[in-house]
Amino acid sequence: MIKISHLKKSYGVGESKVDVLKGVDLEIGAGETVALVGKSGSGKSTLLSLMAGLDRPDSGAIMIRGKNLNQMSEKELTLFRAQNMGIVFQQFHLISTLTALENVSLPLMILHNTEAEQKARELIDEVGLSHRSGHLPSQLSGGEGQRVALARALASGPSILFADEPSGNLDEETGERVMDLMFDLVKKTKTTLILVTHDKELAKRCSRIVMLEHGSLV
Amino acid sequence: MIFNLFLIKEFKKYPFFFILISLTLLLGIFGIAGIGVVSEQVTSKLRQNAKELLTSDLVVSARRELLAEEDLSLSQIMARHPHRKYQVIDIYSMVKHVRTDQIRLVEIRCIEEGFPFYGHLSLKSGIFKTNGLYLSQDLSDLWGGQVGDEFKVGEKIFSNLGIVTKDTSQGLRGFSLAPRIYLPLSLVKDAGLLKEGSTGSYARHFRVPNFSQQDFLKLQQEILKALPDAAIRVTLPQESSEQTARVLGLLTDFMSLAALIGLILSLVGIFYLYQSHLISRLKDFCLFHLYGLSKKDIVLGVIGQFSIIFFSVVVGMSLLLIPIYEMVQSQLSSLIGMELATTLNLFELLKSMPFLYLLGVTILIPLLMGLLRTPMGAQLKAAKISLGTFRFYDFSPFFTILLSYSVYLSHSFKIGSLFFVSILLVLGVSTLVIKVTQIVFRKIFLRRPLNVYGLEIGLASRHLIHSGHKLTLSFLSLALGTTLISLVLQLDSLIQKEFTLDEKKPSLFLFDIQEEQLPDLLDFSRSFGVRLEGVTPLIRGRLDRVNGMKFTRVPENSTVRTREDEVESRTKNRGINLTYRAGLSPSEKLLEGEDFSSSKNENESLTFVSLEERFAKRMGLKLGDKITFDIQGVEIEGIVKNLREVKWTSFYPNFFVNLSPGAIDEAPKTFLAVLPKDFHHKKHAYQREIVRRFPNVSLIDVEELMLKLSSIFEKARQAIELISWLSLIIGLVILYGLSHDQVYRRYFDIALLKSLGLTAGQIRKQLIVEFGFLFILAASVGFLIGWLIAITIGIQIFKLSWSVDLYRMVVPAVSLSIMCLVTILVASWRAVAVRPRELLSDS
Ligand SMILES: Nc1ncnc2c1ncn2[C@@H]1O[C@H](COP(=O)(O)OP(=O)(O)OP(=O)(O)O)[C@@H](O)[C@H]1O
Ligand SMILES: [Mg+2]
Repeated sequence: MIKISHLKKSYGVGESKVDVLKGVDLEIGAGETVALVGKSGSGKSTLLSLMAGLDRPDSGAIMIRGKNLNQMSEKELTLFRAQNMGIVFQQFHLISTLTALENVSLPLMILHNTEAEQKARELIDEVGLSHRSGHLPSQLSGGEGQRVALARALASGPSILFADEPSGNLDEETGERVMDLMFDLVKKTKTTLILVTHDKELAKRCSRIVMLEHGSLV
Repeated sequence: MIFNLFLIKEFKKYPFFFILISLTLLLGIFGIAGIGVVSEQVTSKLRQNAKELLTSDLVVSARRELLAEEDLSLSQIMARHPHRKYQVIDIYSMVKHVRTDQIRLVEIRCIEEGFPFYGHLSLKSGIFKTNGLYLSQDLSDLWGGQVGDEFKVGEKIFSNLGIVTKDTSQGLRGFSLAPRIYLPLSLVKDAGLLKEGSTGSYARHFRVPNFSQQDFLKLQQEILKALPDAAIRVTLPQESSEQTARVLGLLTDFMSLAALIGLILSLVGIFYLYQSHLISRLKDFCLFHLYGLSKKDIVLGVIGQFSIIFFSVVVGMSLLLIPIYEMVQSQLSSLIGMELATTLNLFELLKSMPFLYLLGVTILIPLLMGLLRTPMGAQLKAAKISLGTFRFYDFSPFFTILLSYSVYLSHSFKIGSLFFVSILLVLGVSTLVIKVTQIVFRKIFLRRPLNVYGLEIGLASRHLIHSGHKLTLSFLSLALGTTLISLVLQLDSLIQKEFTLDEKKPSLFLFDIQEEQLPDLLDFSRSFGVRLEGVTPLIRGRLDRVNGMKFTRVPENSTVRTREDEVESRTKNRGINLTYRAGLSPSEKLLEGEDFSSSKNENESLTFVSLEERFAKRMGLKLGDKITFDIQGVEIEGIVKNLREVKWTSFYPNFFVNLSPGAIDEAPKTFLAVLPKDFHHKKHAYQREIVRRFPNVSLIDVEELMLKLSSIFEKARQAIELISWLSLIIGLVILYGLSHDQVYRRYFDIALLKSLGLTAGQIRKQLIVEFGFLFILAASVGFLIGWLIAITIGIQIFKLSWSVDLYRMVVPAVSLSIMCLVTILVASWRAVAVRPRELLSDS
């Protein structure tokens, strides 16, 4: 599903140059759930952003479903990501002027799905928010917001779901419930999950744990 | 400590904010300060030159020669003080250049030995002699007149003895209607120019050595008392420059108002920038508060910060303005037609700054009140921090200062408050349009799928619906800018239309026709194959009493006066020209009351009076008032029967006061007439013949006059337009700041849309749809309001007729919207092009 080899990434130039990833190799099979752990600043988010095509590596290759992300143009990459990946962020990042339902239907509409709205309704229903579908993000609680974000990430039926500390901004109990929901949905749809987390308990729920240290996996 | 927190640290952390605020402020005050400086330079120059303009210490003048007994009383008063004197007569007459056979209307300045006491007449070469005339440089340029050339003035031919290159008694070159010729007074009588009732001014100039200002004022009062006829004016130097100052003053007042719009735009920008800055600083403020800084300290800190920005901007502006002024000083001088000082008076420059500072601080009051209303302790726990709300009345200090400042700038309660109301109108209409649009959009877009009209439009519409007053602010700044531009453009096109020659305008305007000449003139014209129109008698008179109350002379030297006061005192002091006429002329329209013919005259001795509407208003006269006129010593009683509107730009003979025929027909008079447009081709030949046969009759070439007038208007318009564009540039800079801020506030939204699969092109399309719609709407509102104001001013003040110049409305509106869109695209380019990696970082 995902195959990464000799991945390198650094920020800045000259004196202030930081080598974040110094040659990462990683292979993840379809349907796997992988927890990516490591100290703060170890490069977890960086690795995630490269895998999701949100940023470009300095060198090395990222193959996803047999396609090399490096060889895609910005436009191809955008389309590829929309079709194959979903992302959940720590800060939810919902569009503040769109309702919950519109936020969820957005990725489907971008892909010109003709049943976008109906599908989005099903998803909203599945995350238990049908009574909130017409509300704006500012009218939702944190947990509700992250559930909407989760529904949005899964809306286009991606084969991979990336999540960067999805429960980081939620209180323990709410976070746990949203994570339950996420694992349920991932299992049901057989989606590959790559989850960045500091939470050891949460990491243990994944089928595999990889640890990032000093720029490479251990 | 506060200083450090609010200034040094802040500046290091938010350089972009400070630069943008300073730039906005700089542009805003630059226009006002620049115009203020130039108008100060002009008025101080005029004040300095007042004596040179008048040429003497005191002038007694009238539009007629003094009567023998008046002359006697004047001499008796003056005999008590050692003095020197000369007489100056200014008349308008046709002059022919014999060699080239060219004819034109010329102002003939008849002077005596000793002229001028102050200032000088410079000759190109040689000295003044008394056996010929002298051409002004303008006229010599126009005619190619040389020394030795012969000119026919009145019935005589004089030879040109020299060319006057400089005349310090001439206020503004280029603003006078006819070029000058100088003629020794002794020769005037022979030329037969001084016919009874000729248009001219007769002045006696005095120089009284060792007299103080106080003495002159006393002398002035004494003479006024001895010569009670309101037609006689007694002028001191400082009053003589007022006329010129008035012309320029009106222009600079309007320019200042245009610049004030620029300032208001920049204040809108400052309000917006500060608001978004305060929101992003709020968390830190809460922390300051937690560590012991009171809210008041924080507010004071912000005010202090703004004050220091303002101060630095003023310093920067002065440093900028001084060299700029020195650079353009010579062009400016030649444009205005007056030698301006080469260096700036820094004090004048800084005089208006306190006002501007107050405007700046008061626009921040609503935000600062919001800050005071913010529950700072609670904010730290909240998930989203928000600034306390401000109320509408928080703006009242700002609006109060704005109103007084516009009155101050325009020197007129009427214009100032009209301006203020227009601003409020734009503000109100803008808010209304935004609110209505949002409601309509809600109906159209909400509750329907996001992509029914295309995804980009769906996203754009949601933004338009949910953005609050930020949207209104950017809309407002654009609408204000376009209102101004539209106003200038539309007013200009209205005025230009008025000053073009159409079929209805005459080609020649004849005046100073003597009563006994009229039959000959009409005969001659008939034999020449032309038909004179609008032959109208002109009779000099004076308003003596209204309903038994005496009209008194208003003292001219009262203290502070607005423009309205000035107009009033000028008209009340002047004698008036009137005519008798049975009905209305084609360029007159009855407004109130009834026609002379339709009302019966029960009382034989009562004459009917028709007044021009605005004249009546100025003089405080109403329908039914009984007015007693003094027509050259004879009292005539009349009753106001109607008020009428006069279209002065028709160039037909019209008067403020028309009497019914009968009572004054026998009074001494001259006649006015026009040559209709149909005889345009015969104009020159006719003009030549008239000058030959009736040398005292003057002709105005209406076509030429209109060219002259429109070129004066053109100059004024260009000046105002320049300022308008400055305002517009300010608007664009602010728009840049605003949209930059808005786009960066949406930074994460944009990144997110990209992560979800929208391309940069699609996101730009969304921004174009959103902002493009907003701009086109704002520009339409602005252009519509601008046009409405222009029409109102045109109809109400200039009595122009209704019209719309669509081309000047649509083209600038569209090109402006495009300019704004480009601004938005430039401001957002980087944000849109960025890779969405930032979504994963914590902030
Ligand atoms: N845009 C950037 N420019 C410069 N340095 C960066 C940038 N983004 C990240 N870094 C640096 O790269 C390193 C890795 O950052 P990254 O965000 O991947 O860490 P992380 O493992 O996700 O940490 P955390 O657990 O705190 O989220 C850090 O030292 C960070 O300072
Ligand atoms: Mg991270």
